[in-house]
Amino acid sequence: MLQAISPQQQIHNRQLIENKKLTFHILSDPGNEVAKRYGIRYKLPDDLREVYTSFGIKLHEYNGDYSWTLPLPTRLIIDQDGIVRYAAINADYTVRPDPEETIEALKRVMGQ
Amino acid sequence: MKLQEKLSALKKDFEAKAAKNVIEIMHRATEDLKDSGIVERAVKVGDKAPDFFLKDESGREISLKGLLSQRPIVLSFYRGIW
Repeated sequence: MLQAISPQQQIHNRQLIENKKLTFHILSDPGNEVAKRYGIRYKLPDDLREVYTSFGIKLHEYNGDYSWTLPLPTRLIIDQDGIVRYAAINADYTVRPDPEETIEALKRVMGQ
Repeated sequence: MKLQEKLSALKKDFEAKAAKNVIEIMHRATEDLKDSGIVERAVKVGDKAPDFFLKDESGREISLKGLLSQRPIVLSFYRGIW
């Protein structure tokens, strides 16, 4: 099963699910505290923060805090023993693995 | 079209319109993040995934342990709708 997790507040996750008719749930991770424990939380530099603000992106309103942190886009497969079996993490948020790659990896984990 | 092709097209479209200094700031932030070594220090294959206890969009409390009691999961960290 797919479990999404985002620093944004519940209401935005709910809106996203309704708008996109998503069939999975999204957890709120306030302050990216869980992302931190997975080693993927980072703080936006000041100049990028200003760029986002100039775009009208009020990150503090979405996320409900002023930490200006985000998670690296990350896709993991975790087996029933709680062990990470697949990790796709990129420092460049414009690069994402193809869903097919993750599905193939999941089949390998499930097939054992 | 593959996901990455769509994303790359979006990026190209955005950068064709954006101010040069804005693009520079965004690119530099990405390069700095790569150089910071965050990916190398992040969770990796073979690691025990830290347990968590978080609320979903309806306010239901969900733990990793609970999720794994049924089956393996794909966990996807997502930045936001903005």
